[in-house]
Amino acid sequence: MTSLEVTDLSVTIGSTPILKNLSITLGAGSFTAILGPSGCGKTTLLRTIAGLIPPSAGTIRFGKQLVSVSSLVLPPHKRKIGYVPQEGGLFPHLSVGENIGFALNKSDLTKDQRRIIVAEMLELIGLTKFIDRSPHELSGGQQTRVALARALAIEPKIVLLDEPFSALDAQLRNELREEVSLLLKRRATTAIMVTHDREEALVSADIVALMRDGEIVQYGSPAEVYLQPLTAEVAISTGDALLLPATRGKNGILHPLHAQYSKTRSSQEKSEQGSIVIRPEEIKISMKKERSAIASLITRLDYYGHDAMVELNLEKSDFLGAIRVRIPGPVHCSVGDRVFISHVGPIRFFPE
Amino acid sequence: MPSLDIAAESRIEAAPMKKTSLLHRGSLALTALLLALAGIPFFYLFQRASGASGSEISALLFREKTFSIFFNTFSLIFLVSLGAVLIGAGFATLLYAVKITRSALFLLLATLPIAIPSYVFTYSWIAIFPWFRGIWAAALVLTFSTMPYIFLATYAALRRVDLVQIEVARSLGFNRLEVFTKIVLPQIRGAIGASLLLVILYVLSDFGAVSLLGVDTFTRTIQNLYKASFDRQSAAILGLILMFIAATIILIEERVHKKNIASNSSVRVQSSASLITKPMAKLASLSLIVIYSFLALALPAYVLTTRMIANFQEIDYPALASATFNTLLVSTFGAIIAIAFALPLSWTIIATRSRFALFTEKVVLITHALPGVVLGLSLVAFGSKISWLYQSVGLLSFAYALLFLAKAVGNTRASMEKIPPILKEVSLTLGVSPLSTFRKITLPLAAPGIWVGFLLVLLTAMKELPATLMLRPTGFETLAVEIWSASTLSQFNQAAPYAFTLIALAAIPTFILSRPDRIQQESNHVEKERWRE
Repeated sequence: MTSLEVTDLSVTIGSTPILKNLSITLGAGSFTAILGPSGCGKTTLLRTIAGLIPPSAGTIRFGKQLVSVSSLVLPPHKRKIGYVPQEGGLFPHLSVGENIGFALNKSDLTKDQRRIIVAEMLELIGLTKFIDRSPHELSGGQQTRVALARALAIEPKIVLLDEPFSALDAQLRNELREEVSLLLKRRATTAIMVTHDREEALVSADIVALMRDGEIVQYGSPAEVYLQPLTAEVAISTGDALLLPATRGKNGILHPLHAQYSKTRSSQEKSEQGSIVIRPEEIKISMKKERSAIASLITRLDYYGHDAMVELNLEKSDFLGAIRVRIPGPVHCSVGDRVFISHVGPIRFFPE
Repeated sequence: MPSLDIAAESRIEAAPMKKTSLLHRGSLALTALLLALAGIPFFYLFQRASGASGSEISALLFREKTFSIFFNTFSLIFLVSLGAVLIGAGFATLLYAVKITRSALFLLLATLPIAIPSYVFTYSWIAIFPWFRGIWAAALVLTFSTMPYIFLATYAALRRVDLVQIEVARSLGFNRLEVFTKIVLPQIRGAIGASLLLVILYVLSDFGAVSLLGVDTFTRTIQNLYKASFDRQSAAILGLILMFIAATIILIEERVHKKNIASNSSVRVQSSASLITKPMAKLASLSLIVIYSFLALALPAYVLTTRMIANFQEIDYPALASATFNTLLVSTFGAIIAIAFALPLSWTIIATRSRFALFTEKVVLITHALPGVVLGLSLVAFGSKISWLYQSVGLLSFAYALLFLAKAVGNTRASMEKIPPILKEVSLTLGVSPLSTFRKITLPLAAPGIWVGFLLVLLTAMKELPATLMLRPTGFETLAVEIWSASTLSQFNQAAPYAFTLIALAAIPTFILSRPDRIQQESNHVEKERWRE
């Protein structure tokens, strides 16, 4: 179990700054997901931690050991890192067993000890029968599992996972995701996974770090980043979110789903313009008129089976934009229906 | 934010944190050594030529003979390039287009001519047609000798073309010819260009065929100046010009090469769709290859066999055996040395992309065009100062390595470039040192390309003549030397067994080279693992 501490890390490739004064601390044994769109520098962060890219400034520590400070950079092969790249990166000329035992040859293990470790790892990932297979004979999910076993076999201080599930189909992804996070938990290995899939980040990790343009914008537990986003952008990147214009003044926060919106909006002076973020599950839809509910018309319905995305136009409101709400199935309404919506939950206001 | 404490600083000092690994420094050192050694002939040429005054140089350059040398050399380059590309690329395309299941025989037929030295081709033709002389004859012989280079490169490139693209183009309404010119040709141009460069360098440095056919090219003139008049200064000036021509051609090829796009799709669908489907067209295409091979191969085979039978009782078996052994010995050594230099050079080019490494590669390419005699003489000048090196098997092997290093570097580099960098990175992060990573990942994955490079050097070194004549230890006879020493037709009867043995030996690496299926398969596994960044 090793903690990881990255302080003021900057990486410049060519003349383009990729990481800018990035700092993040991960507790020993924690599983952190770095969530960000492609091109935000998350893979670069991972590769810098691995020692594959030299940083231009900043320090990296594994526990108490300093592995990177200014121009002093510990080479990757001396860091004891378990790196699981996209699509596994299995050595095509070696069998599954040889892949897992690849880095065990040089250490002072006997042949039998090595065989035992490989067998243990294969059992761990449930591929014992595949020991003599070639990587190209494996499915995508199996390749990822072997890559993970190969990384874990060296008892790494930290495991780095680079979009490990991106090449897999949806169902397999869910299964493997659970399996991997369970596996890492059981071995109490500190792990970082970079991903652009918000669901993946929220489900598997203890800590989610949101990355944007080479910087970490927020990090915390999945519930924290989902429920208390620091910016509207974070809110959108952690889940479906309804972004509505709002004003903040002495009467409180006014927004289109507020019953008093149209009446009091004009009277609100010295108000602060901004927006609010509402999670779709915080909006209640009912066919009957309820108190403080707003009448609206369904203009569009995208049916997904387990749920549906509904687009609504508010009646008798100054707000003319569409409101998109995800409603759980079974779905009993259709386009043209008149429904009543109300907001139940916290108001997250972000000034402009 | 924790501040850097002194204890932490000292810990990092204690850990070895060199920026470069042993592998890095070792490769750099070997590349530097290679550059120094490859520089010997250039240094020698400049030194020899620098003694000449301006008037001497202009007298040499502007005499009528020099113009005819230029004319002959360039005509030959033009004719052979045209012939080799038309036949080599043409056959590769036909074979690819008909897509027969048993293509191995045709591949071998089209490749086999590289096993035959140009002077053996020439001897065979002269034996039947005594009037066979001059530039057209030389162009014909050299086209036979060089065509396989283009054929192999084109065929390998064609196999890399994604068949889905062809099917898409057909579905968009293009006919077969349009598909070829618009989809296929742009993707194989690079391979044709690169192999054409090798062909041109081959023509520039060929000595055997042009000498027997009386065509005065740069190489032959340089050889004659040394041999007949010991005019080393004029020879060196001509050598420098030849070097300049080679450098120019290499630079042009590089410019053109940059514009070519290679297919970057990682998924290649094997489809049974073939471009030529009519049975008659298939038959005609295949017959064309057979007829050509008959012309190229059957004639030397006939001549050698009849001569050998006529002289069967007089074959000197001990001499034949020792020449065979010597040929195998020096060419194998040469190929090993070439690979030993090609590996660090390729690694340095890929890992550093430094000007120094790329410059070394250029020098190696230009050396490939140097006539064996120039390299031979410069190594003699160099070796004669060191008594244990002079006229040693080691020096001769080294000369082969230097002359043909370009072939080894090309293949080694290409196969090393194909390895996804992620594999090396994963190995490093797993705690395997850069040197072990090279041994356990790079070497086995690049093995097919390294092996092809080794075979090409081996094959060419077996047939090499002018440098062998100059650098061999006294009394050290190789097959090539024995064949060459039969300078008249009557003596050619005695040379026939040697020629026969040489071709039989050279046919072994040729046979392996003609099977791109196997080599391709190996590298396909690597490509499957291609890393998406």
